[in-house]
Amino acid sequence: MLVAMSGGVDSSVAAALLVEAGHDVVGCTLKLWGGESDSGCCSAADVDDARRVAQVLGIAHHVFGLAEEFQSRVVEPYVAEHARGATPNPCVECNRSIKFDALTSRAARLGFDAVATGHHARVVHGPSGWELRRGADRAKDQSYVLGFLDEPSLSRVLFPVGAMTKAEVRDRAGSAGLRTALKPDSQEVCFIPRGGRRSFVGARTRLTAAAVVELSTGEQIGTIDAAQMVTVGQRRGIGHGPDGLPRFVARVDVEAATVVVGRREEVAITSLAIAPDTLRWSRARPRLDAPLLVQTSAHGAAVAARPADDGARLALDSPVRPVAPGQLAVLYDASDPDLVVGSATVAKPVLSFA
Amino acid sequence: MTGEPPTDQSRTDDLLYFDHAATAPRRPEVLDAMAPFLSGVVGNPTGSHRLARVARTALDDARDEVAALTGSLPGGVVFTGGGTESCNLAVFGVTADRTRRGKDARVCVSAIEHHAVLDAARRLARPLLSAPVAVVELAVTPAGVLDLDAAADVLRDGADLVSVMTANNEVGTVQPIPELAAIVRDVAPQAVLHTDAIAAAPWLDLAVAAEGADLVSICAHKLGGPVGVGALCSRREVALVPLVTGGGQERGRRAGTPDVAAAVGLAVALRLSADERAVAASLTAARRDHLAKLLAAGAEGLRLSVVDVPVLPGTCHVTVDGVSSEELVFLCDEAGLCVSAASSCSSGAATASHVLAAMGLGGGDDRGSLRLTLGAETTDDDVERAAAIVVAAVRRLRGAAR
Repeated sequence: MLVAMSGGVDSSVAAALLVEAGHDVVGCTLKLWGGESDSGCCSAADVDDARRVAQVLGIAHHVFGLAEEFQSRVVEPYVAEHARGATPNPCVECNRSIKFDALTSRAARLGFDAVATGHHARVVHGPSGWELRRGADRAKDQSYVLGFLDEPSLSRVLFPVGAMTKAEVRDRAGSAGLRTALKPDSQEVCFIPRGGRRSFVGARTRLTAAAVVELSTGEQIGTIDAAQMVTVGQRRGIGHGPDGLPRFVARVDVEAATVVVGRREEVAITSLAIAPDTLRWSRARPRLDAPLLVQTSAHGAAVAARPADDGARLALDSPVRPVAPGQLAVLYDASDPDLVVGSATVAKPVLSFA
Repeated sequence: MTGEPPTDQSRTDDLLYFDHAATAPRRPEVLDAMAPFLSGVVGNPTGSHRLARVARTALDDARDEVAALTGSLPGGVVFTGGGTESCNLAVFGVTADRTRRGKDARVCVSAIEHHAVLDAARRLARPLLSAPVAVVELAVTPAGVLDLDAAADVLRDGADLVSVMTANNEVGTVQPIPELAAIVRDVAPQAVLHTDAIAAAPWLDLAVAAEGADLVSICAHKLGGPVGVGALCSRREVALVPLVTGGGQERGRRAGTPDVAAAVGLAVALRLSADERAVAASLTAARRDHLAKLLAAGAEGLRLSVVDVPVLPGTCHVTVDGVSSEELVFLCDEAGLCVSAASSCSSGAATASHVLAAMGLGGGDDRGSLRLTLGAETTDDDVERAAAIVVAAVRRLRGAAR
């Protein structure tokens, strides 16, 4: 069994639990980023931590350099999405392209049956096959960023800490004497220095100003200096309208240099458009018309929804802030709200007034 | 923790060790020679009493031995903390001496130098010194050998320091140091010629292979000596600004209490290597050639990286189409064969090789590389078994890729 060890406490404990359970375990750390500014994730210090934990556990540890894949499949698309005014989700992309594609393919070539990670999510063999469920610690749950995993993939992955709370994970690391026990959780986008999204993107693509335009009247109410960094649904930094009420972003159009904004109720959506051919159901899906919960960000709320128009959209029971196109929508079973039953990619938002 | 510390469950008995260029097996004779200086009262060789004199004598005996074996001046040997420090001292020490009166300097290094030279030279290009330093890379041919004509053209424009390794650590190509030295004397007589002979020292007589170089770097653990000791050896008086300053030890070229045991270990390891060289080199070269033949015949898509030029007897470097170096090394390790993807590297991840790039052989995922390095104790049977493991790994990875 190959366990991906980031140098954090969760994957350290994941490795420890597998060793304890008697598995033949090999640890690996992915070197995805680095170079001159060796900060953020998989820095030399993180590799050191992972290696030391592996040594303490008595397992072999390898460093896998997947920086080229990370650059082409995560970093470049991240910048390109911003450049066209969309909102990328690099964590989902890293899981999809790196951990659960490049790494799992490598593991298979090298003869491993399964890959384990420190994600807070659970893989359970249920009545209809392998199922993905939320992690036991709802606050740390990462089922959203794994929502794209299909059954064949789920059959070859393990999330050993998914059944534990974060506090239990730290306790376990402490009692096992692992030096990552008190290491802080990783923050934000790992390859971007703290708070530096804008300068990171700005160094790689040209950021341009845009007019801030009222949805209801078409009038310009201000300007914003980097349209590429604006996200649909965003409130922060947008300011207030002439009526003194806060404005929310409804649309970003980089080419036309406009950011369309409105009052909360104006921009709210009651329907989520699904990009063609991206809706995927798991075999755990209940009845076709069964009520669902949909989640569109890593730690956002899951809201009640129902598929409509032959899967072209999801009808939402109550209005929510608009969702940026390109985001992953993960579907849970409303009657068993920890169970992931499908996923889809969000298309251009359908506004409630439309 | 209590009790026995757990150890990596990987097998460590019955291994096939084909990574001699990373570090050579420790010679028991070296430890025997070092033992008197590793326990009990060992005098500080800079002191004035009889114990100090005993230590000083051992240190200076080791120095003379190293000088004789490298063709250096008696007293021209500076003991250092290893090969990297030796190379750093040569690069910084010479350049800093040239710039300390505010004069610009020009440093010419081959494109396939070890990072101990290359990174030191690149740091010089930043304004750390009292005058600007230009760093110029000297090209190599596709066979991995310094292009002497191109080097002569570069050196004609002036040079203060020229640094070209005696043999490359990664692909093993032997560099034309005597010919380069003649060119330096001819077109850039003011330049100091340094050669990193760390990879070459186990296999080549440096008096011949590094003839004409002014400064020679060597390192003990590649010779079966201890890690953490090396030497920078001068063939003529070369002014060096020290990297480590303090009590003025090593004639002011490297401060700090000299490590007598380590110096003795280096001298003994170098002596033993020299004594067995003639026999070991030809036997090992024959085994290496056989290994290369088995690999080329058995593994589809596998190519020898260097052909038709002199290569160190122990080095067999290959590239394989369509597989990743890391995966090859992993499968070899699983099967008990210790090899490297390229040279040893601190993070453990295989990074694109600047040596292969300089030879016009791209790295990257579409072509993996593997360095197998043999030692004098490698047997014919080891070669057969290692070849079988590599061939099986290549077949498996190329099969899986389809």
